[in-house]
Parts: sequence; C-alpha cells; structure tokens
Amino acid sequence: MNGEKHIISILVSNKPGVLSRVSGVFGRLGYNIKSLCVAETADPEISRITLVSRANFDFTEKTKKQLDKLVDVIEVTELMSSESIERELVLIGINMDEEQKPEITRAIDMFGCSIIFMKSNYCILEVVGDKDKTETVINYLKPLGIKEINRTGIIAL
Amino acid sequence: MEKTGAEILLQTLEEEGVEIIFGYPGANTLPVNDGLLTNPIRHYLMRHEQAAAHAADGYARVTGKVGVCLSTSGPGATNLVTGIATAFMDSTPLIALTGQVPTSFLGSDAFQETDVIGITMPITKHSFLVRNEKDMRSTIKQAFELAKSGRPGPVLVDLPKDVLAAKCRDREERDIRPPMKQNNGIKKDHEQLEKIAMALNRAERPVIIIGGGVKLGNACIEMTELVEKGQIPFVSTMMGIGSVHTSNGYNLGFIGTHGFEAANRITHQSDFILAAGTRFSDRSTSDVDEFAPLATIAQIDIDPTSIGKNIKTDIPLIGEIREILTNLLPLVKKKSRTAWLNRIHTEKQNLEREIPFNGCGQPGRFIGMVQEAMPEATTAVTDVGLNQIWTVRSWKTRIPRGLVTSGGLGTMGFSLPAAIGAKTGTPDREVVAFAGDGGFYMNIQELATINYYKIPVKIVVFNNGHLGMLRQMQDLFYGSRFSNIELGNGVDMVAVARGFGISADRISVEKPEAGIEQMSKTDGPYLLEVMVDPEDYVFPIIPPGRSNMEMIYGKPE
Repeated sequence: MNGEKHIISILVSNKPGVLSRVSGVFGRLGYNIKSLCVAETADPEISRITLVSRANFDFTEKTKKQLDKLVDVIEVTELMSSESIERELVLIGINMDEEQKPEITRAIDMFGCSIIFMKSNYCILEVVGDKDKTETVINYLKPLGIKEINRTGIIAL
Repeated sequence: MEKTGAEILLQTLEEEGVEIIFGYPGANTLPVNDGLLTNPIRHYLMRHEQAAAHAADGYARVTGKVGVCLSTSGPGATNLVTGIATAFMDSTPLIALTGQVPTSFLGSDAFQETDVIGITMPITKHSFLVRNEKDMRSTIKQAFELAKSGRPGPVLVDLPKDVLAAKCRDREERDIRPPMKQNNGIKKDHEQLEKIAMALNRAERPVIIIGGGVKLGNACIEMTELVEKGQIPFVSTMMGIGSVHTSNGYNLGFIGTHGFEAANRITHQSDFILAAGTRFSDRSTSDVDEFAPLATIAQIDIDPTSIGKNIKTDIPLIGEIREILTNLLPLVKKKSRTAWLNRIHTEKQNLEREIPFNGCGQPGRFIGMVQEAMPEATTAVTDVGLNQIWTVRSWKTRIPRGLVTSGGLGTMGFSLPAAIGAKTGTPDREVVAFAGDGGFYMNIQELATINYYKIPVKIVVFNNGHLGMLRQMQDLFYGSRFSNIELGNGVDMVAVARGFGISADRISVEKPEAGIEQMSKTDGPYLLEVMVDPEDYVFPIIPPGRSNMEMIYGKPE
C-alpha cells in the first residue's frame, strides 16, 4: 500500500483476544500492517502494541478513533520519527566463505553489528538500529547472498 | 450462601432492572432456564433466535431500557447475528447472552460450539467470555454499563455451561477490572459550542438535521426548544423521525433517497447545518460531493468516529447531545429569517400539491386511516422495503419512541418480532406492525409466539406478491427486466394466520374501511392482509449515485 509510514503505539489490557480486536480495526479499514510488536509493559496488566502501517494522511485520524473505541484499548498515540526513538533488531543469516569475509568484517566494523552465531562458513549477524540503519545494512549485505533474515519489527518510545 | 453461575447471572440481571428476556433454550443454557423457574424475570420463548434478538431490540427502542436476549451456543448463537447487527447499526442498547460449551471443550469443535465472540466482533461494542463464575456479576454489570453508555449498542456475553452450573460463595465473587481508558474522547469544549452558536446566529438559511442520536440521547425536549427558540427549520434522518413532533411547523420531513423532496432541497440550499446525532449515512446524503455545497456544517455526536466519517464537518463537537443542547440554548438568538422561511413555505407547498399521500399512493392513504382508527398512543413498527418507506412517510409520530424501524441495516423480517418486543415493553400502548409479504415470510413463525402469549399486536401485511422495492428499482433502473422478485399470490395468508390461531382478514387497499375497523376493535392480535398493486411504488426517489437534488417522480425516459 502506498502512502506515508506511520508508527502507532497502543497501550492495551494484557488479555486474550485483544490483539485480534486491534488488528481487526486495521483489516476492516483496509490497511496492511507492515510490522507488529507486542510486549508487556512495566505494569503486567498492560501491554504495548507497536505497529507500522503505510497509508494516506487521514489514516491516523480514522484508525485512532476506531481504536479508541475499543474497550480494551487504553491509549493510542502516533509516534513521529522526529519526536521518538525507534529501534529494530534484525538477524541476518549469511554464508561467510573466504572471499566474503573481508566484506562482512567491514560491515561489522562500519555498522557496529555483531556476529552472534558461527558454524563452519555460516554466520548470523545481529543488527540493531533505526529503520535507516537496518535497511542500509541489509542492502549492503544483499549482494553477498543473505540466506535468511528475521526482524522484530519496529519498537519505539 | 452458595449460588450457581446461572443464579448469579439472573440475580444481576434483576439488579439491572431486567423484567423480560427473549430467548430460545438449548443444552448449554439449561442452568439459566432452570434458574428462571424461581426468578421473577419473564422469559418469552420465541420461535427463532433471530426473532429473540429483534424482540429485545424492539423492546429497547420503545422503552429506552437495555433489551436482553438469550440463546444457546452454536446455531442458537449464529442465529442471533442478524439481530445483533441490526441493533449495532441503529445503536440499540442490547445484551446478547449466549450459552457456550463448557470451558474444557472450548476450541475443540465440540457439539454446538462456535466462536460467537469472533463472529460478532465487528457488530458488537464489546464482548465477554465469562471463564469463571466468580467473575459473573461484575462482567454482567460491566456489559450493561457498556451497552447503555456513550453511543449505545449491543454487548455479547458468552456463558460456558460449566460456569453457569458451577457453585460459588458470595464472598468468592470478584471484580473484573473496569476498562482502563484514560478518557472517552469527550472533553467539554465551550469554545466550540460558542462557535456553533455564532455560526447559527449568523446564518441566513440554517437547517437542523436530527439523527437517531437525539432520541437515544433523550434530547427531544431540548431539540424542540432549540427549533422553536431559534425558529430554525429542521429535517431528520429516518432514525431521527419523531424526535420533534412530526406536526411541528418547522418540520420539513426526512432527507435522503426516500425522503421528502422539500427536505432534500432545503438542506441543499442551506448556508448552515447543525447536525445532531447523525453519521450522515449514504441513505441520507446520497452523493456526498453534492451534499449541501453551500453550508457550513456543525456536527454534534457522542461517538468520535461518527464525526467526519462520511461528510467533512467544519465545527465538530463531541459529547452528550442533551447537555450540549442545554448549553447551546441560551446562546441561540431569536432571529427572524422571513425570506428563508417564506422560500421554504412556497417550495413546500408547491411540492406537496404535486404528490398526494406523500407519494405513497393508496398504501399511504391506508396507513393514515389506520393511524386515525387507532388510539393516539400507538407505536408503528415497520419492516423493510416499500412498506417501510410508506410507513415512515405517512405515519405521524405523535408519541415519544413511537416509530420503530430498522434504518441502518435494513433487516427484512424485523417488524413482527420487534413488534412483540414493543408490545411487551409498553403494554399500555397499541402496536401496529407494517410489513410487506417478503419480510413477513422471513419471521412468520413468530405468529406462534404471538398466539401462545396472546400478545395483542396488530399486523398489517401489504401483499403485492413481489419484493416491491426491488421491483421498483428493476422497473426504473434495469429497463423493467424483472428478475427473482416475484413471490406470487399462491399463499392464503389469512388461512395461515388463522392456522396460527390469529384472527385475520383480507382487504384491498382501495376499500380498507371495514378491515381497519375490525382490526382496531379486536382486543387480541389481529392480522390484516392488504392487497396492493405491484406497481404501487414510492415516489419521489433518488436514483443510485445521484445527488439529493435529483429526485425523480416516475420512470426515467
């Protein structure tokens, strides 16, 4: 879906079925969720859902109102990139044979990623950063043949 | 003292003021049915769960209280769905209680198991699964609070059988956590209120649009005062009809596809609109781009999602309509807008001259005659289709909550069960259900309920052997290619009614006098089959996709 990226942070009751109510709002309005992260907050009765969706400008207004209407939703805020800190953790599985070693080592130095697993010529890199950084690392490593990739989705405060 | 979950449930319902439940039992509700033997709450055994939901809906609409329906799990629960959706679209406070398989069977595709909470999520305000009898009381209390508060609506409570049967001591009962909302979106906004007052006072050609929310928010009196103090002409949506007395001199009728042309034309020409308790549904606005192009629009609603949902509003204000109107009243100036009122008067007269019986022809005349024959305290309940438009155009709503219709969802089959709910909710009023043959067939089994409980409702079935409104659309917009809309006249409806033990007669719409008299003087339930020409349509009408200014009076050339 085209449109701007929006990061929405939603505080909800930590109860079964709440996530499906929240995601249902996005589905009904026809918005795709790009990434989603749910975890307990410091108060175990409250969870924070952080999700990223792309949409046109009236998106936040409409979804916010609909989300606010859900009984289990406590607070909805859109996090503006300029006013919040965002992080994502990405695990990248990649082959590291002799030829590629220098490139990968350079990436590790340049971007401050770390190797968290290694077996013969396969390694898993851990990248932590905002969207720009993780995208840059992924693009840099792509030509070297990324085998697997998994990402947590953005969390932000 | 030890009580079962079902006993706690019934006790809590009693505490919430419930006197009547409409339901249909099943294996998983048996603990509740057992408890009803020793509880003063009356249970009406309907003949279909959908009818139970509509009856509870009708009950709530006429009483202003929360309606309660009860079904078993699985098919019982799925049968409620149409009724719940109907209540949701028209913001009826409703509690749907559904039996459920025991908790240990949940998710196992057990006999008569269905995930009714999942199914009804988009058509309820909220839903609860009671997993422990200790939570029963607080859950039910919260469900009622949610159903009534803010913009009312249906709340579903799913009740596993083992929870209903389990015993629990008083002191073991616990509170479930209330919603942790920071705020409900409502903040007192005096500045916005003053803006509305200023715009209204300044306006040369103001119109008020009254939605269903005025009735739901018990703001009818305040609205009448506003209309009269400011001398402001008003229109309503279909759901708003009757909020201010239909015969009020400032009334222009209802707007929209099937509305009054004067109401549509005047709204279109207005320079200021105060919309109260309406979401500007497509049936009211038609083509939104062409809707009231010159008007500044102020919108008052308790539901933030209704603001600007379909129409961009210039001065939105979220809050309780009654409170807002009370605060608005002293700010509104008496202003004579002679030019505007004269223009409206002329336009209205010209239009009225052209169409007898409000464009409803013989059926319109008939409905007027029925109303004259019945006492003033009579509630009209409509079905959906031509019968609905005929009734809402012709019936003069003279008593509060005196017109019940499925406006938002347009549910055929609504009238008969809703009339049962209306009559049981207000036994000292008469209730007339107006249905077409199509909608009547959809819940015809409720004649058995009416007979069993001797519920004295009057039933008018307009029989044209067709799905009349669709016939009109096919005639007008599909080049008279009639397809799948003929029901035929092979059924002897009077014999059917008599078979159900209900007195009945058949009359033609042209000569209704004797039939109406017989119906009005019969004490018990009565069914009047009214033979109508399939070409008796309703005019004017707005063709699909056109604006409110493009009403037509006959077949397009």
